[in-house]
Amino acid sequence: MSTSPASLKDFLERLATLGKQPASTAKLSDEERVQRAGNSFLRELTNSMAVDLETCIHCGMCAEACHFYEATQDERYTPARKFDPLRRYYRRELSPMRWLFRPFTRKVDANDLREWQVLVYDACTGCGRCDMMCPMGINISELITVVRNGIASAGLAPNEIQALQDEQQNRNSVFGVEADKLRELIGQLKSRQIEIPLDKAKADVLVLTTAVDVLLFNDALAALAKIMNRSGANWTLSSAAFEAANVGLISGDTVAETGAIRRIVEKAKALGAKTVVIAESGHAYQALRWEGAEDTGAELPFEVLAASEFMARELDAGRLKLKKAQNGRSVSYHDPCRLGRHGGVYEEPRRLLDAMGIEHRETDSSERENYCCGGGCGEYVIARAAPLRQKAFEIKKREFDKAAADAVVTSCSNCRVNFLIGAENARWEKPIESLVEMVAANLAD
Amino acid sequence: MTLLDFARGPALQLSLVILIAGSLWRLVGTILLNARKDLSRPRHKSALADGMKAIATRSLPAHVFEKRIRFQHFSGYAWHIALFVSVLFFAPHILFFESVLGFGWPGLPNGIILATAAITIAILVALLIRRASHPVQRLISNADDYISIVLVIVPLVTGILAFAHVGGRYETLLAVHLLSVEAMFVWFPFGKLMHAALTFPSRFQAGSSFGRKGVRA
Repeated sequence: MSTSPASLKDFLERLATLGKQPASTAKLSDEERVQRAGNSFLRELTNSMAVDLETCIHCGMCAEACHFYEATQDERYTPARKFDPLRRYYRRELSPMRWLFRPFTRKVDANDLREWQVLVYDACTGCGRCDMMCPMGINISELITVVRNGIASAGLAPNEIQALQDEQQNRNSVFGVEADKLRELIGQLKSRQIEIPLDKAKADVLVLTTAVDVLLFNDALAALAKIMNRSGANWTLSSAAFEAANVGLISGDTVAETGAIRRIVEKAKALGAKTVVIAESGHAYQALRWEGAEDTGAELPFEVLAASEFMARELDAGRLKLKKAQNGRSVSYHDPCRLGRHGGVYEEPRRLLDAMGIEHRETDSSERENYCCGGGCGEYVIARAAPLRQKAFEIKKREFDKAAADAVVTSCSNCRVNFLIGAENARWEKPIESLVEMVAANLAD
Repeated sequence: MTLLDFARGPALQLSLVILIAGSLWRLVGTILLNARKDLSRPRHKSALADGMKAIATRSLPAHVFEKRIRFQHFSGYAWHIALFVSVLFFAPHILFFESVLGFGWPGLPNGIILATAAITIAILVALLIRRASHPVQRLISNADDYISIVLVIVPLVTGILAFAHVGGRYETLLAVHLLSVEAMFVWFPFGKLMHAALTFPSRFQAGSSFGRKGVRA
């Protein structure tokens, strides 16, 4: 059901090497960096963002929604502060009142971009909890994403994230997981009587997995395969497009983000797939489900489902039957930000737990108000941010302890990794489990 | 032309022109920028209803948020309401509105108006102090944040002085009161007071963009 300490250790060692790789964008001058960030802001700013930037009244309430502020009381982590470079750029260059604002608004320089790198990558997971708090209805996380994208364009994404992005763009792999590694795992799972179809010529359903599942959560991939097989779907993994993770969305490089989406779209089209099912990964769901069409400029020719959505649908259709879990344990379901607040998938995971007769105890903050795991959107790969991340994890730990369920269950491999690391550091014993694995373990005959 | 004539005549007209033209310029200029085109399949096809709903629901934060912002939230409500009562239900103000609109409405006793105006001033001063001293607000504040609060406080203070006939001739006090209101009108389109108009589109778009994903904004 869970990962072994040895595989987590191997995975963490792999992470530790990331920051030591030279970034592909190290040689830009400061002028070029500022120019690139400005161009990125200009490209991405929309009228709804402009309305948001014009509306902020600097009340600071967003700080009270931010786990990093709550954990540290450091005012620099105020969400409204995090989009300040964009606000300044907008006021100088685009606002209808720019002729008045410009003399009173300082230009964004390269040092600002460096300072904000820490604020928007280390101290923001784009979780969007502040979006739900803002009394003005400002989509704060969207504005911070634009700042992040500008900083990435300026070649100033943290090394670890830049290295991951370079790898996905240049080698079409993440964490070194290439098709051979997937084939090897599929072979191992076959010896456990778990059949995973790879590279079928035609299929109704294309399933995407993640490097994290291949390296660390093999059981989650095995569980998803078991469920797909049981549902009777004509499905396949593709060696050319098996990776759901989208590092471009994490790094802020929209070209890389779109490239990763296109690979999947082309493969799904070639297969004639009507459905793409995404393994347990919040950001991958957001990238394909809610950005895929916008990034590629056309509605996707297939539907995109998170693993929990697919399972709930199959359950409703009677193709998947679940038995009551026998262990009598209760769980708290953690809503991954990009599946929940950014994705709208709240109800399906809870419905599946109900179908298995598993008591789920909600934390004080859940669903749209849920706290982030503390390391989402690539935050957990940034080595220097570990102490900050751990403080944010403590908030989650407190919430889970108060709910007093026997285990934590979620449907995002990144949340799981971050919880596992946090739990190990805090010597916290609560089991942290996968929804897909839980469903696979309770399939009725 | 006396100061009062000036305040009632050209100053009022000019300030209203700046208020209306400036606000329209800022609002329209913002909305006419590039729009994002949503192409992904919506989970909910009720962008309009979700947007309208968020205009109302965003006034009531979820409990887990509310308990952390109670002071700001309630003080914000209190002063806005007290201000509107002071502006809309003071008998002389109603006479002024009647002269412009052609109809009036019943006012509230002066004692109540005095109290609501005093409450508004007290809360605004407290919020001003909080802004200057709370680490979060101090860090994210700019000159506009302070100017805007002061420009709301001053008409209230001058209004009370004129009502109480304290500090000068009534006509002069009244002129100063009118000029202070006009200063606020002139500042309105350029500063954060514009949120009075912008809050609605901002909340609406939060409601519709989260709503299409099936998330209640």
